[in-house]
Amino acid sequence: MTDASQRAAPSGSPLRRAAIFVALVVLAGLFLAPTVGVIFSAFKTTRDISLGELWSIPSRLFLGNFAVVLEKPEIYVYLRNTFIVAISASLLSITLGSLAGYVFAKLPFFGSELLFLLFVSGLFFPPQIVLIPLFKMFNGMGLIDTLWALIIVHTAMGIPICTLLMRNFLISVPDALRESALVEGVSEWRILLFVVLPISLPALAVLATLQFTWIWNDFLWPLIMVQSDEKRTVMLGLVFLRGQYSVAWGIQGALALLASLPTLLVFLFFQRYFISGMTMGAVKG
Amino acid sequence: MATRENFWRFALLAAPVSVFAVFVLWPMFDSFRYSLTDWNGFDDSPRFVGLENFRRIFTDPLFFNSLINTAIWMGAALAVPTIGGLALALLLDSRVRGARIFKSIFYLPICLASVVVGQIWIWIFQPDWGLLNEAIRSAGHLSPKQFHWAWLAEPRTALACVILAWSWQQTGLNMVIFLAGLTSIPSELLEAAAIDNVPDWKKTLYIVLPMLRPATAVAVALSMIGALKTFDILYIMTGGGPFHSSDTLALFMYNESFQKYKMGYGSSISVVLFLICVVIIVAYFRQVGKLGEIYD
Amino acid sequence: MDPWVILRRCGTAVLASALILAANVAWAAENEVTIMHYFTADIGGAGLHPIFDKFKKETGITVVDSPIGHEDYKTGILVRAAGNSLPDIFSEWAGARTQFVVDTGKLEPLDALWAAQKLDSVVAKPVAASATIYNGKRYLIPIGYHYAAVFYNAKVLKDAGVTTTPKTWDEFVSMCKTLKGKGVTPFALGTKNRWPGQFWFDYLLLRTAGPEYRAKLVAGKASYTDPEVKKAMALWKDIVDAGFFGENSNADDWTDAADKVAKGQAAMTLMGTWITGYWTQNGLKAVEDYDFFDFPTVDPSVPRVAVGPVDGFVISAKGKNLEGAEKLATLIISDVDLQINWAKTQGALSPNVNVPTSAYTPVMERAKESVATAAAFNFNYDLANPPSVADVGLNMFAKFMGGTNDINALLEETQKEAADAFKK
Repeated sequence: MTDASQRAAPSGSPLRRAAIFVALVVLAGLFLAPTVGVIFSAFKTTRDISLGELWSIPSRLFLGNFAVVLEKPEIYVYLRNTFIVAISASLLSITLGSLAGYVFAKLPFFGSELLFLLFVSGLFFPPQIVLIPLFKMFNGMGLIDTLWALIIVHTAMGIPICTLLMRNFLISVPDALRESALVEGVSEWRILLFVVLPISLPALAVLATLQFTWIWNDFLWPLIMVQSDEKRTVMLGLVFLRGQYSVAWGIQGALALLASLPTLLVFLFFQRYFISGMTMGAVKG
Repeated sequence: MATRENFWRFALLAAPVSVFAVFVLWPMFDSFRYSLTDWNGFDDSPRFVGLENFRRIFTDPLFFNSLINTAIWMGAALAVPTIGGLALALLLDSRVRGARIFKSIFYLPICLASVVVGQIWIWIFQPDWGLLNEAIRSAGHLSPKQFHWAWLAEPRTALACVILAWSWQQTGLNMVIFLAGLTSIPSELLEAAAIDNVPDWKKTLYIVLPMLRPATAVAVALSMIGALKTFDILYIMTGGGPFHSSDTLALFMYNESFQKYKMGYGSSISVVLFLICVVIIVAYFRQVGKLGEIYD
Repeated sequence: MDPWVILRRCGTAVLASALILAANVAWAAENEVTIMHYFTADIGGAGLHPIFDKFKKETGITVVDSPIGHEDYKTGILVRAAGNSLPDIFSEWAGARTQFVVDTGKLEPLDALWAAQKLDSVVAKPVAASATIYNGKRYLIPIGYHYAAVFYNAKVLKDAGVTTTPKTWDEFVSMCKTLKGKGVTPFALGTKNRWPGQFWFDYLLLRTAGPEYRAKLVAGKASYTDPEVKKAMALWKDIVDAGFFGENSNADDWTDAADKVAKGQAAMTLMGTWITGYWTQNGLKAVEDYDFFDFPTVDPSVPRVAVGPVDGFVISAKGKNLEGAEKLATLIISDVDLQINWAKTQGALSPNVNVPTSAYTPVMERAKESVATAAAFNFNYDLANPPSVADVGLNMFAKFMGGTNDINALLEETQKEAADAFKK
């Protein structure tokens, strides 16, 4: 197994590698500017920011914002809730998407293209339009103000993209793999679980990263489905730090930084699964 | 043979299809039926008005305004974050020091909450002390009096600025997709090309890019759909203003439905939005399908 | 053991559990009141949590709290209403918004409650008259209100040599000229979110055409192309052309404009009394750092009207705990201590006439006097107009501040859109 970043080793001339590095540094600098702004805001008082001093390099680091955030007991409840929802819904949607993607890629049938398109059409509308129907549905089921409502919604809403990605990825996996396993008498679900999925680790890693990030950062569904404080997610908590006639730049910056850590860590964790060559190796062997 | 396969088709699709049908499809069509009424969200029995809402859409200048803005956004989505994500992935694919740090820097934007992202970009575009104008002023040795363009307050630049902020986040997303896509390119092909002394740019153009087709499809689809649906950042940075110059279909629909309490009309806008997406995606997949055949 | 005995014992246990559960659920419903409002953040909590705590102590009822930021509040309430799951008691801005909800028939009339709790003697008359009655019945219990006035940076005015605040339009204009002469921008106005511009329109129209005309305009019975509106806009254009407003009003939010005044980059801003809460948060002091004066008179024959929003609570007709909601509403408005706390924490004015002067800063006390002595209390533009019409007007103000030379064309366009909006 070769790591993606090691593959081009033989062909890079030093000049080319230096040029790439410089380009990356410049781009990284541009990309970092807004992030640095957020970091600055976390270490300044709201008052200083109101007075227009956001972009000046802080002479001292004001830690009060972090203190306020970390001292609020609700924040930990919010974080716990968000973890529960994000992890469960990611797992469920990726599972369901993989099942469907496998069928569309390896077991197509008359009309499966259309069904696939129907799945993908779930991406085609702004979530606001199903706010009311879903609210009514969950209300009828007594699931309003529970984390279940959030988990179910995010699972369902994640099925289209998971299906799309898995199906596209699995199409590029050679049919020979499946056929040789079938010849050996392996049943279909075992093929899916033990042959196909291990090869799909890069796609699964991408989905895990993206789904977790999207669900973690979602604000709309918690807004509608959750009413009491114990069920809130961290994004709601972040937005409601601002009052009707007040602003809370510093605290919001601090909380935003803290809340971005899980998704960043998930991203870094799944990086190692962007591995190439598994497909080829499996066919040869 | 066939029945065994059919059994698996059914068994594997049962769960995804039912969850999807119950919690996505049915609510979607349920909301579509309101497009045939003049519902305001509160009435218990909305009045049926047939295609009246749709007739109104096609004479509503705000609708066409938001349609054009959405189209512009989608075009920009193809240009900036998709190509940008691809470029980043290609750059990071070669062995380069600190790849992990670079990747984190490019992915971090999407990890930040949109309310904060929107606000930070407001502070970047702030006319008097914002980062952009400060940079421009120091580069051109201008005083604040000479240059204080209000990027978000000027109808000509507002939309571009929001698209830029959105691209800043979206590029990292696409980068991840392309990075994963790059892993499916067999290293033997690249090694063979190296042995044959194929120049890098040819390698990229004739080997890497074509093999990235599935990933490209996903990245393009996501970017375009993101352009169609983006709401949070737009709402915070401009709210569709000034004077609807940055109004997109998603925001327009939200304002009509939830601010003016015209759920029926808002619903019809989402129907139109949905149909537009269908047309685009079908056309896209047809195209990709044809090209795919050539390569097989 | 005899299986029948086991079965009987199990059956009894199940029955007992079911009964206890049912009793619990019923008890819970009786012992809970669900509330939804837009008073988020610590500031909102500082005002409301004492109320909920006291309520629980006095009645044993728990308040299930659900704050939503006011940007998203309209969405939240709409979804609840559409799902037939409105909270027992929820916030609404008095005026057209409450009228809208009243007209949907989902609110409980509160006349009986009003009479029983003798709220006539508790709630200030101008507020009671304008904010609580819809279609002839009482629907809204006010919790606090605000007054829009010209707030200024005391030090800036002093440094510029301005010693008296203007009472008439001419004095007003001449003061602005003085300020400008000393290099100070007279006004900061942040129309990024459009609504701050409405106070200018409201006051200019009210001071020249009077409250009866304005009532006609917001009801769709007058036109934006009428001479009254043209006159008000002409006045506005005069002071804009004279350079009394800074540049790029559309780039600033109301907080940015307030910051400019706080920093001394501008002298004044026309804003509601909540700005005192915001400034206090940023460390400014009443009278010493900031103060206000009423919007000047233009035509002395026109009565002086006060403009501002009223925050209130309405009660859902089909809520689970109607009685509890009514008790809570009564507590909110009648309890003097809670009202004092509300006024202090929100920078608001209390509609409760029994709140003493000592509860207010000198600035807020004068604001209260201004409202009490005004001829009438009017809601600001976006609360006086139905939502779709409000949108049209707010656009017009933003366009105007963005720089329009042809006022007549702007007014005609506005009238066309407003007429359309009124029809639907």
